[in-house]
Amino acid sequence: MLKARNSLGVVFFPAFDWAISPTHPERQERLLYTQDQLREEGLFDVAGIREYKPDLARVPDVDLAHFTFPDVEHVVTSSHLISAGGAMRAARLVMEREAERAFALVRPPGHHAMSVVHGTRGFCTINIEAVMVEYLRERYGVRRIAIVDTDCHHGDGTQDIYWHDPDVLFISMHQDGRTIYPGTGFPYELGGPTAMGATCNIPLLPGTGDQGFLHMLDHVIMPLLERFKPEIVINSAGQDNHFSDPITNMAFSAQGYAELTRRLGAQIAVLEGGYSIQGALPYVNLGICLAMAGVDTSNVREPDFDPERVKQEKRITEYTESLADQLLEYFTSPPALPKHGRVEGEWFVRDKEIHYDTDSIFERQLEKVRMCGECGGTVVIESRAGSDPVCLAVRIPVGACPECAKKGHEVFELGQRSRNYRRAMLVDRPGKSVKRVLI
Amino acid sequence: MLLGIDVGGTHTDAVLVGAEGLLAWAKAKTNRTDLLSSIREVLGRIVPEAGAGRISRLNLSTTLSTNAIVEGLVEPVGIFVASGPGIDPLAYSIGEHYRVIPGCTDHRGRITSHLDLAAAREHAGACRRAGVSVYACVGKFSPRNTDFEETLKEVVHPQADFVTLGHEFSGQLGFGRRVHTAAFNAAVWRVFNRFADAVQRCAVGLGMSARVNILKADGGTMPLSMSRMFPVESILSGPAASVMGIMAVCDIQEDSVILDIGGTTTDIALFADGAPLTSPEGAVISGRPTLVRALKTRSIGIGGDSAISVVDGQVRVGPRRLGPAMCEGGQTPTLTDALNVLGAADLGDTVASRRGLGELAAKHNTDGPTLAQDAALAAVTSIRAAVIDLTRSVNDRPVYTIYELLEGKRVTPKRVYVMGGPARAMSGLLAEVFPEEVFVPESYAVANAIGAALSRPTLSAELFADTQRGRMLIPGLDVEESVGGDYKLEQAEADAARHLRGYLEHLRIPDPDTLVETVEAQSFNMVEDDMLVGRSIRVKCQIRPGVLQGYRKAVGCRC
Ligand SMILES: [Zn+2]
Ligand SMILES: [Zn+2]
Repeated sequence: MLKARNSLGVVFFPAFDWAISPTHPERQERLLYTQDQLREEGLFDVAGIREYKPDLARVPDVDLAHFTFPDVEHVVTSSHLISAGGAMRAARLVMEREAERAFALVRPPGHHAMSVVHGTRGFCTINIEAVMVEYLRERYGVRRIAIVDTDCHHGDGTQDIYWHDPDVLFISMHQDGRTIYPGTGFPYELGGPTAMGATCNIPLLPGTGDQGFLHMLDHVIMPLLERFKPEIVINSAGQDNHFSDPITNMAFSAQGYAELTRRLGAQIAVLEGGYSIQGALPYVNLGICLAMAGVDTSNVREPDFDPERVKQEKRITEYTESLADQLLEYFTSPPALPKHGRVEGEWFVRDKEIHYDTDSIFERQLEKVRMCGECGGTVVIESRAGSDPVCLAVRIPVGACPECAKKGHEVFELGQRSRNYRRAMLVDRPGKSVKRVLI
Repeated sequence: MLLGIDVGGTHTDAVLVGAEGLLAWAKAKTNRTDLLSSIREVLGRIVPEAGAGRISRLNLSTTLSTNAIVEGLVEPVGIFVASGPGIDPLAYSIGEHYRVIPGCTDHRGRITSHLDLAAAREHAGACRRAGVSVYACVGKFSPRNTDFEETLKEVVHPQADFVTLGHEFSGQLGFGRRVHTAAFNAAVWRVFNRFADAVQRCAVGLGMSARVNILKADGGTMPLSMSRMFPVESILSGPAASVMGIMAVCDIQEDSVILDIGGTTTDIALFADGAPLTSPEGAVISGRPTLVRALKTRSIGIGGDSAISVVDGQVRVGPRRLGPAMCEGGQTPTLTDALNVLGAADLGDTVASRRGLGELAAKHNTDGPTLAQDAALAAVTSIRAAVIDLTRSVNDRPVYTIYELLEGKRVTPKRVYVMGGPARAMSGLLAEVFPEEVFVPESYAVANAIGAALSRPTLSAELFADTQRGRMLIPGLDVEESVGGDYKLEQAEADAARHLRGYLEHLRIPDPDTLVETVEAQSFNMVEDDMLVGRSIRVKCQIRPGVLQGYRKAVGCRC
């Protein structure tokens, strides 16, 4: 009988009674065949691999990751709380040493959900990785965390949440933003002024296959992880890079995913996208589970697998190699300040426009971070969704210096008196308090 | 009148139950090399008492298949496995005649690469030359398409005494489990059928015309005729008989724990709202998981014969058994000896028990009674820890819908029912560690045989339909039908129940208490290019384990 080299906990939650709409790509059928495949393969009969049910995230868990307007109850359904709870359960398994590694095989996904949430964008409402990361910090005191996003779409939500956080290394490998949603994720996006180099984007050309992905892993991702020395590595395991995915244009295979998983060695993986529900997900998910558990994956492949199909063109190989060199240079000698934004006194300010494609909401933001030499800096966001009144969001980050904490409270008080805002929310991490005010 | 026989590891128990209650019982030592002799012995004592003609039914639980598998006393099986991609199919290899035949069926039952018939014929030839005459053919996703298994059967049928196919056991997924189940089934086929012949001859010899049924691991029965094709279903029927016995003699309505304390092990089972819990995947035998439906039981190595040891000042009981208790002439003090010393039991040579514990105690600077107290406490504490662990794992079982997760029922036992040889002697000690009420039914010593006598048939059927492909299958019942594109979940539920009832009738199982219940019913939209192209429908229905109500009243006790 088979035995796992690394014990693995799989939190499987297909949410068989929830969908955005009956034919939406993010629907019940998405994990149906994965479930069939895992059952038929007998994954949970492998000694050392166990299935778990998710925890349920609560409003305070969400509040640590997001500014939700008007409030969590209005925007979020049980399915989102369970999906985030699934990621939390995975973290709990690893931290409490019930399993060496854990995979949250849950839906709906979350990596397009940004710091401020007014609704759903890119099938995501709350960022389940971010909820998990904040849980790891709050409950287990983990400090340095790396998130490697291997979904085909740029993990713009996760990037936004950790943009100003020097303790979270966010790396996203994705199809070039000029060719696909959400249209971001370029190499010059390196993080905010207090966290330059803690964000890394690796845009790949359409048609990139196993070879290109693994090249980037070996030549960019692994060296960056080596330098950053995280306490824990998390994989946002989106599976829409697969050659059969209907909404993307890449050529990654199940074997490629398994090999990437094996080499990356993340302690926790969280499912993101992946919409080739029959041709890819059953095989890719199986490959990832086996690779995480250290079980042989050499017989895992798609039924219609043809090596020719994932072989990338020479020009892609050349591009990949030169991009890898460029990216490393960026990180060894980064520019002093981010490409977009301006300095206003002690603040670094940028304007943002965010489109919630799923809910048809258009949001404008003015985001400020205090350029503090000692900590990540207090963040202040003024947000206006559509024609709604402006909301104010203030975050005093984990490990904030006393000066930044003081500033955060001042801005929040002032904001309430100014009558410029309808709603205001303060997240004071060192003070362990969250305040919501309706003005 | 109903006759129940439970062939256990140490004793073979038999009871005769009539409408007026327990009429007779007999106990014999189990002859492990000749189970039939033990059966003949108890039958010989009971049948004349009742009059052979008045016994309408004989239910038998037997360790024959289990022992044959565990002890490796089975015949070689030629195994054909059509796996396709996935986990390496050699991980499930059993014996020397296991061969992976190229070919692949996917999760929807579509053949994605054809079966390599030449490879199958070649393996058949090799098996024939090696003198193999029983076979198992198993395909990955065969519950979604039985073609490969049927084709493989055609290849080996001419040279086979018996061929078993993976999809005949269950519509449940689990390729490795299916391989193990089919392989074990073929391996014990001949030895089980010889036993079945002998049992039938013996019954006829005693003048009986009773219908004979064999107990299964899920606490139900199957007709002897059916057991001849599915002998593997008779594995682990011992613990199931105990659970059914408690159900028969006690009126269990709440969440409860059942403890069957035997000579070497204690079996633990759980009831939710008065119904025994079944293990969702299937029984494990000889370390190999199978698709054999089974009650959810956990076995720990603590029984009356468990040896007492002291390691680093800690008193331990079990898991080893080093011969019988000292009061029975053994060399090492056991839990039974400790119970003797404590005055909780009065078995055999109690002086020997006292001497044994005294000697062991002296080596560790204590006295016999203290050591006995510590040993008994260690035993009941371990049992309680195992109960808590099992309850937790049941409550932690995965669920797949938001409704189930938010509304999920938790099992919280209110009572503990104890049976088996040492049950009475240990009840006081158990009551000290369990906060729940502890009960020992009056007939605790033969409850297992009562359970065997009163068990009724169980069956389950898993239906799978794919309206895009226009097909509906119930693999376990060998049903395959075409369905229209408008086939609905409600029709599927009705079809599954109808076929299950039909199968019962075909087996001529008369059972007024029979209740077909649907335990799972799901329908998923299948979408391609934003278009609804069909539905994937899954229905599972079953006849759950239970005891014959009429007789239940007669054997019931207040507990
Ligand atoms: Zn994606
Ligand atoms: Zn600061």
